Order: sequence, then C-alpha cells, then structure tokens
Amino acid sequence: MSTKKRVAFSFVLLLGIVLSACGGATPTPTVQTNPTEVTAPAAEASVVSEPQTIIVALQAAPLTVDPADHRERNSETVIRNMFDGLVTRDPVSNVYNEMADAFTWQDDTTLEITLRQGVKFHNGVEMTADDVVFTFDRIIKENAIEYPEAHTSPRKGLIAPLASIEKTGDYTVVMHFTAPFPTAMQMLVHQQILSKAYLESVGTEGFIAAPIGTGPFKFVSAQPGYTEVVMEKFADYYGGSPDLPPVGPACVDTVVFRAIPEASTRVAALLAGEVDIIQNVPAELVSTLEQVPGIQIKTAPGTTPKWMEMNVNQAPFDDVRVRQALNYAIDKDLIIEALYGGRAAALPGALSPNNNYVNKALEPYAYDTVKALALLAETGWTDNNGDGMLEKGGVPFSFTIDTEEYLRGISEAIAGQLRAIGIDATVRIWEYSVVKPLLQGGERMAFMGDWGDSAFDPVGHMEAKWHGFVANTTYGRGNFSGYNNPRVNELIKLGETTIDTGARHVIYDEAQQIIYDEAPAIFLILPDVVEAASARVQNWTPAADGRINLHDVCLEK
Amino acid sequence: MKAIKILERTLVSIPIIFGVAIIVFLFMRLTPGDPVDIMMGRSGVVSAGEIEKLRSEFNLDKPLPVQLWLFLKGAARGDLGYSYIQKAPVVNLIRDRLPATIELAVAALIFTLIIALPIGILSAVWQNSLLDRLSMAGAFLGISMPGFWLGIILILIFAVRLHWLPVQGRIDYDARLVTRTGFFIIDSILTGNRAALISSLKHLVLPGITLGAAATAVVARVIRSSMLETLRSDYVILARSKGLPEWSVVLKHALRNALIPTVTVVGLQVGVLLGGNMIVETVFSWPGLGRMVVSAIFARDFPLVQGSVMVYAFTFVMANLIVDILYTYLNPKITL
Repeated sequence: MSTKKRVAFSFVLLLGIVLSACGGATPTPTVQTNPTEVTAPAAEASVVSEPQTIIVALQAAPLTVDPADHRERNSETVIRNMFDGLVTRDPVSNVYNEMADAFTWQDDTTLEITLRQGVKFHNGVEMTADDVVFTFDRIIKENAIEYPEAHTSPRKGLIAPLASIEKTGDYTVVMHFTAPFPTAMQMLVHQQILSKAYLESVGTEGFIAAPIGTGPFKFVSAQPGYTEVVMEKFADYYGGSPDLPPVGPACVDTVVFRAIPEASTRVAALLAGEVDIIQNVPAELVSTLEQVPGIQIKTAPGTTPKWMEMNVNQAPFDDVRVRQALNYAIDKDLIIEALYGGRAAALPGALSPNNNYVNKALEPYAYDTVKALALLAETGWTDNNGDGMLEKGGVPFSFTIDTEEYLRGISEAIAGQLRAIGIDATVRIWEYSVVKPLLQGGERMAFMGDWGDSAFDPVGHMEAKWHGFVANTTYGRGNFSGYNNPRVNELIKLGETTIDTGARHVIYDEAQQIIYDEAPAIFLILPDVVEAASARVQNWTPAADGRINLHDVCLEK
Repeated sequence: MKAIKILERTLVSIPIIFGVAIIVFLFMRLTPGDPVDIMMGRSGVVSAGEIEKLRSEFNLDKPLPVQLWLFLKGAARGDLGYSYIQKAPVVNLIRDRLPATIELAVAALIFTLIIALPIGILSAVWQNSLLDRLSMAGAFLGISMPGFWLGIILILIFAVRLHWLPVQGRIDYDARLVTRTGFFIIDSILTGNRAALISSLKHLVLPGITLGAAATAVVARVIRSSMLETLRSDYVILARSKGLPEWSVVLKHALRNALIPTVTVVGLQVGVLLGGNMIVETVFSWPGLGRMVVSAIFARDFPLVQGSVMVYAFTFVMANLIVDILYTYLNPKITL
C-alpha cells in the first residue's frame, strides 16, 4: 500500500472511530447533485451586514497570479476570481460573453470583438481595447514576459492560431488567425484581461506582488508560494456575464484560497470548520463525508475520461478481435459502483459522453465475458490445460498494465477482471514523466491513463489521443497505443479547421465509429468532479473544468 | 583562537556544499522525466517549437558540462537560477520558505528536549521503575509511529473533535501579521501583534509534536543509557560517598558527561528535523521548504531542487559544527 493510500485508509478508519466514539455521526447525508436546484441570489443575500468570509481548500497552491504565465488549473481557479476574460463558461462548459459584447466573424480567420463598456479594473481605470490588445500581445509575442528572465507566455499554445490582434476603436479589436479556429470561443475562456497601464508601470514583478484585474474579487495578500491567497469583494464590479445570473458584485466580502495538498487534511479542515469548500474529494472519503451532518457533497460532470490503451503494434494486441474482447471483458458498472460510489459514467468510445461532439449512436461496450472468450478463442487464445488461464501455442496470455499511483485502484480492478477470464494481467506503477517516453516509443504493452477534456470539444483531445504520433507536432502527443489510422487522422485534421457545426458532427461521428470498432483502448469510465462544502455555503456549483467560481456563492448567516 | 577555528570549519563546509550540489545536479539529470514536458501540463496543446524554446530558455539544450558550469558560476555569485515552475529566483523562494521550516524544527526540538531530558534522566535514576518502563514503551511507540499516522490522530482529536487547535496552516488569514523576518513568532513579538502570536503558536503545536515525536524517543533513550553508564562510573560513586545530595550528583556531576553523546544525537536530529519534515509539512499544509522540495522533485524543477539541497547540506554541516563547539564546553579536554 502506498503512503497516500495508507494515509487515506488511516484517515477513514480513524475518522469513523473518532466520530462514532464522540457521538457525532448521525447519518443524515446532505447530498446535492443537481446544481440547478440551488438558488440563493447574490442580491438577496448581500443585505447581510456581517462581513462574510469564505475559505476554499485547494489541492495545490497556484503557481502564480499572472494570468499569462502558467499552464495549470489551480492557478487558473484562483486567477479567474480576480480576472475576467472576453468570454466565460457555465459549470457545464457552455460559453457565454463576459467582457465582450459581441463577436463577429468577418471571414473564417478574422474575428471582430466588441467590448463591453464601463468595465473597471480594481484601480478604478476603465478597460478598453488597448488593454485587450496588450493582453493578447503579451501572450503571443516572443519573450514578452520580462520577469524573472525574458520568456514567452506558456499560454501561447492555447490560442496558437492567433497571429495578431489590432485595435479598431476604443472598444473594438480584431483578431487575425492563421487558419480557421472552430474552438476559438472555448479557448478564449482561458485568457484573462490585464491592465496595460498598470502592468507597464509596475512590471511583471510588481504585478505579481499586487495584481489587479476586472474580476469580482481584488487581491489583498498572499503567503510565499501562494500557499494562501486572500481577496476581497470588488464593489465596482461590472457584474459578470449578463447571461449567467446573479449579475452584480459578489456576495461574500472576503475570499481565502488555501493550499492543502493532503486530501485527508482537506477533509479534516472541512470537518473542523476551518474551510468552507474543499476541492477534489477522494472517492474513498466521499461516503464517510456523506455521513457527517452539516456537510454537502456536490458533483459536476467530469472532464478526465479514462482508458486502458493497448499497444496495437505488438501481439496479442495487434489483433483487433483481442482488443474488442478485452472491452467486453470489463464490467464498467461494477467499477463505477465499487470504486466511484456510482459517481462516474461509462465511456461510449473515444470521447467523453459529455463532449459536444460525442457520437450518440455509440453505446459503451457491454459486459459480456462469453463474447469476450469467443473472440479470444477465434484468435487462438484458449484454456487448453484447464488451469483457468488462456494460452496460445503454450504461451500464456500475460501482460502488464502500466499506470500511475492515482489510478492504481481502477488498474487493479481491471487486472482482476481480466484474470477472471484467464488473462494474466498485472499492474505496474510509474511516474508519468518516466513512463511517457517508453509508451511513445512503443516499448510497453498497455497504459491505464486519462486525458483532460474541459473544453468538451474534440480539439485538444482527438488529435492528442487518437491521431497517429507525429514527432515535433501536437498530433498523437498523448497516443500511447501506437494507433495510426489514416482515415481517422484525416478526419481529425478536417475537424480542426471546419467551422460548420453540422459538418463537424459528421466528421467526428465517423472518426469515433472507426475508433470504437478498432478499439485501440478499453474505453472505461468518466468520473465526476466531486467537491464538498459546509452546509452554510449556498449557490455553489462545482464546474466541469474544475474552476471554483466564488462570484455567485453566499454563506448562510 | 576558537573563533578562527570556527571560521575555518565554516569555510571548509563550502566545498562540501558545492560537492553535494554537483551530485544532486547530476542525479537530477540522470532521473528520467523532462521538466519542460511536465511544466506544460499533461493535456496541454504544446508544439515542438514551444518545447524547444523553453529548453533553450532553461539552458537544457546545452551539453551537461556547460549546464553544470553555468550552475556553479551562478551559485558562486549567490545566484541559484530561477524555478522553472514557479518562475521566481530560487534564492527568493528558499528565503521565503526557510523561516517556516526552521520555526517548525525549533518547535519540534523544544518539544523534544522538554520531554526527552526529564524522561531520560528520571528513567535512568529510577531504572526498572514503572516510570522507566512506561517511558521506554512510549519511546518505542514514538520511534515506530509514522509521522503521518500520529499527525492524523492529533488532527482528529485536537482539531476536528475538540477544536482546541487548528488542523493546518501556519497562521490565521485574518491575523494581519506584518512580516519582517519571516519567523511568525518573532514577527508577532516585534510588531506587538498578540493575536498573531497566539495564532502562530497554536498552529505550531500539532506539527511540532508530530515532527518531534520520533526525535523525542531517540533522545530519551540515548540520555537514559548514557546516564546509566555515567551513574555507574567511579567519580559518581565517589561523589555519592562524599555525601553529596542525590540531585547534585545527578544534575551537576553525572548529567554533564552524559550530555556528550546526547548532544551528538540531538545535533543529528536537528538535521533530520530540518531536512526530514516533508511528510509533516504535507500533512499539516505547513508552507515550508520540505513541501516545496517534494513538488520540485516531481516537477523536475532542477534549479529549485539543487538550491534547496544546498541549504539542507548547509544545515547538516552547521548542526555538526555546533555539536563540535558544544563538546568543547561540555568537556574542555576536547578541542575543535
């Protein structure tokens, strides 16, 4: 058992003992899984005169408070409470205008953006087109960030097709792309607007010490390494996206983001009333927390689908029937219930069921061991000596599932289910950065992994996982099966530059159908995002992309 | 004369620290895993051009000897480079985190000495008594109990159930402490902030006990055994036969000699308390160096790991030097 597992196990055990010994665990679970049912308008709650402070426990400290200088979710979570962008997302990743009033595609590669007027930075200065141009120039221009040494924004790749941006009026800008960019809106969500005048006057070093944005909260202080970031309500906030009520200043007065890396400590801090919301509740602690009065568990659709990829270039996985057989051999429903407490969905193939372009005609592979064994028998894998294990030519069917520590549970469950039908599967735990080159080199047999899909669009996902690996490009950068189908590759490229939604559906439906049939992976599950909060937290909805948006959140008196 | 010797020993430690830094430099680069790859995130849309650009920015595209030379040249000037991940000078990051780690280590050490000294001495004086048996059983438990386990027990009892002490962190967010030295206790006193002083002391208790538990057990056992040995020596028998009161024999005559091995062990424990606190810092979300180094190792943040290990090496060397200096006071026959 790893240290983390031991910690979690010890915690669950001890928590149970402590709570039951002290008579604190009356089983009255407060489960709220439907975000739309929670309503506590900001305006209504803002009449509360006592200052309200909400404390959020993150699983890792943000790396920076500069929106242009990171590539990491926790940083984005904190930053987006202080900074707004041209567009934003709702909890299920639909895109809405935020500080942009209108978007007009002048042609396939030219986008005119009209900005909202009257938006103020935290220093009271109004946001204009100059700030927007400055923000995007700082991201796309080489070495535009001067501190601590001149370097290029790591976020440049998120809007790679953006060639230039120009101001065409005080409140209008035009973006020029090198190629059609169908996911422009989803990708613009990741860029927040900075104040040109302020940043130029204080420099990046001064900016990260005292950042200002246009968001609902303004920066107050931070501990070294951003292990704690304190913000307070920005009274002159323009209100946020007009399409996502409540519109107006934030409800709570003070916000504290605190990094608590150890999951058991996060849970303990919530139980002790030290924090109000905790991020990323481990599956093994969810049921314990559900038993505690005054705690609410909430979920959002997940964005990290999980697969076990099989090396299609090595026997026995070079035979499509073997790969299909393994898909039929896994009881996904059992895994979902036993390991994820029912908080996950089975994957209908290459994409998450929540992806906007998922092929709705595809159903998850059924659990059918008879069919699995028949397919394996067709390929010569049978139990000849009656030992319960499959052989072919006297060689047993045996392989190793490579994975990482955090996927140990599901990997061992799969290995167990495969052993039940006679396949000798074992699990080996790796550090990702160590195993990745081996996987890309085709040196390993199987990899249990996942891939982020927060945009709910195939771009960022299809070309990474299911396009053949092409060195020095983004194609196949997460493809660990060696799968390389020319037609799928062609469709993926076509989808990247096709603007028309209907046409994109046709393209991606075909690609998913081929991948489904050829099964380069066991298509497994999509776990939900699970977060927990004290019951006094109102109007809080976890987001699919992991963002914790505190603008709407209120605290009960 | 002693001052010159101390200066000499301090200067000798510089090549040791650089030697350690070179070893760490090479080991980190031999470890599989690419810092740029990790930095850009797992699912990120990253082009080969971006990766090459970053490699060049971090000098990772240069041959290893050139990288080592650049590192040593910078380190000699006090420039340890800048963190790939946190995008800040390593010296600043260490400077910001080190006070938290030292404060925790000092708290653990104080706990260790307060508990271990009396227990060790009394166990030796009343050998085989109930106190002796209980304290040695406690010491055995202290050594065997993993830090995370004890930390969780303490959190669940004293923070979750009794609400006496905080679960994690270093100070309450609303303590409004103006930091001057980075040591919160000292800063609270300097600025006369009573609320911050109480808050930071409260936050120190559980991690301090957790970190100090194993050291307490070790030190208590060492004191006991060295006291037992000293109490049987001729000069103690002589002191007793002269009719000196027992407290005087134990505390004035025996303890001083018994402290020599104890100081050695305490000196080593100081190094352990400063350098071996990763788990305690993680369990209690203590924003110290240990937690930062662990993240840096996983991120292959070479400059940050190298810089931090140099600090660890320095603290070990210094702890040993201080032990040697203390010997000269405990036993004038020993020289530096």
